[in-house]
Amino acid sequence: MITEFLSYGFVQRGLAAGSLVAAACALLGVFLVLKRLSLIGDGMSHVCLTGVAAALLLSANPVYVSVPVVAAASLGIMKLAQKFKIYGDAAIGIVSAAGLSVGLLITALAGGFNTDLLGYLFGSILTVSKDEAVLCGLLLAAVLAGLFFFYRDLTSACFDEPFARTRGIAVQTINTVLVVITSVAVVLAFKVVGIFLISALLIIPPVSALLISRTFKQVLWLAACFGVASVWVGVYLSFVFNIPSGATIILVNLCILALSYGWSKMGGLKNAR
Amino acid sequence: MPSVIEAQDVSFAYVRVPVLEHISFAVNAGDYVGIIGPNGGGKTTLLKLLLGLEKGKGQIKLFGQPLRTFKAWRKIGYLAQKSPVSQGGFPVSAEEVVLMGLSERHGSGVSVSELKQVHEAMQKTRTREYAGRIFHDLSIGQQQRVLLARALVSRPELLILDEPSTALDPESREMFFDLLGELNTRFGVTILLITHDTGEVGKYISKFMYIDKTLVFYGTKQEFCHSAAVAEKLGAFAQHTIDHLHNHGRCPLGGSCGEEVR
Repeated sequence: MITEFLSYGFVQRGLAAGSLVAAACALLGVFLVLKRLSLIGDGMSHVCLTGVAAALLLSANPVYVSVPVVAAASLGIMKLAQKFKIYGDAAIGIVSAAGLSVGLLITALAGGFNTDLLGYLFGSILTVSKDEAVLCGLLLAAVLAGLFFFYRDLTSACFDEPFARTRGIAVQTINTVLVVITSVAVVLAFKVVGIFLISALLIIPPVSALLISRTFKQVLWLAACFGVASVWVGVYLSFVFNIPSGATIILVNLCILALSYGWSKMGGLKNAR
Repeated sequence: MPSVIEAQDVSFAYVRVPVLEHISFAVNAGDYVGIIGPNGGGKTTLLKLLLGLEKGKGQIKLFGQPLRTFKAWRKIGYLAQKSPVSQGGFPVSAEEVVLMGLSERHGSGVSVSELKQVHEAMQKTRTREYAGRIFHDLSIGQQQRVLLARALVSRPELLILDEPSTALDPESREMFFDLLGELNTRFGVTILLITHDTGEVGKYISKFMYIDKTLVFYGTKQEFCHSAAVAEKLGAFAQHTIDHLHNHGRCPLGGSCGEEVR
């Protein structure tokens, strides 16, 4: 059955794009979780609805319209938190509510594309185009390059931001680049798991990895592996049982989280030196 | 003596509430300055302004360079009041934390000379025995010593420390202040230290700075200790500090001069 499953071109494309974007989301998610910014993905996903609705209204590609909309919203969240000195989670809530309301308003005023919109809300990994798969590859390449060239700056800024600033590390730039790349990942991930479940790809694999890892490099590797594994197992199970792929991917992630928690209680990799 | 820090008319306010007003001073190379003052007097804010972690009014120069163009951060070691305990789930070893004090490289590679510096700093702070342990599995006192190693790893010329001894047991505290004293006297490291622990540290400090929203006093330990006018002007807090110096025999003119103060 697995051979038959892998023989379809749309499955191959979906798995490739899904694996690439899940790995990118997991790696970015490690930093977001540790910087207490994990809910920024949830806020961005709500803003995605505005981008998708606007794209459907304009008959444009939702990915290309959503990227600038979500990137602007993520920068808006940062500005709100810094300039007006409001709490980060409150800023996410404000921008998230604004994104959702504008998206719903556009949908209601335009009408006629409710069916298309449902596909984006709940994900349709098997409809990923070749171009979108290439974009997912570019995204992961950018994330890996960032990690390779700025690993020490990233870990330092994540561990102790004030101290990192006293080392001359451009913490503000790192934060800006992190949220902009995350916004691109969020947009590319909505085809994989749907707008409602994107944030789970950013949060659950890193948390699972953090539970059992002994070193930061282990966290990064494991988070990426968990993300990719959840896509493969989730898509396969959805194919076998004819159930929604997005929701299945997230449920697989939750199973990995439960197993990681169980293993962490036994010491995880922390005892496996 | 060249100035390591120059502050000119520095002021800071949190949303219209003034925290520091018109502070001007200079710290010379080799000085060991103890910053004292009541809680909420603006001591920590002053250090943050000097490090560019807060933006206020006035002019600050580090090693003769205006703060906004200052790049030689490896010349400065910083130890904050609180360890970054909020990152409880961050799986990073004590050795990796110390390595974060070196910022010349950006990628994940570590050079032999960097490792040598890390080991040297951990040796000084007696933290090598738990170099491989996860930072957040260490006690608060051990964490503080690792963070001191991180502040020392770049072999700084200026150390800025914000109440670094609060989490340390008496033995570690004595070791800690002796190490700072040695860095100052033997290696000429300039030290700026916020402390309430004037008893132990008093034997090494060369100057006192008393901050209570404004710069109330800045001068040598001798001036601070033996000026009845200063004691009267600064009130109960300063009197307590002076008494502490005398009781611990840290008074520069000997421990029998308490009567002169009063």
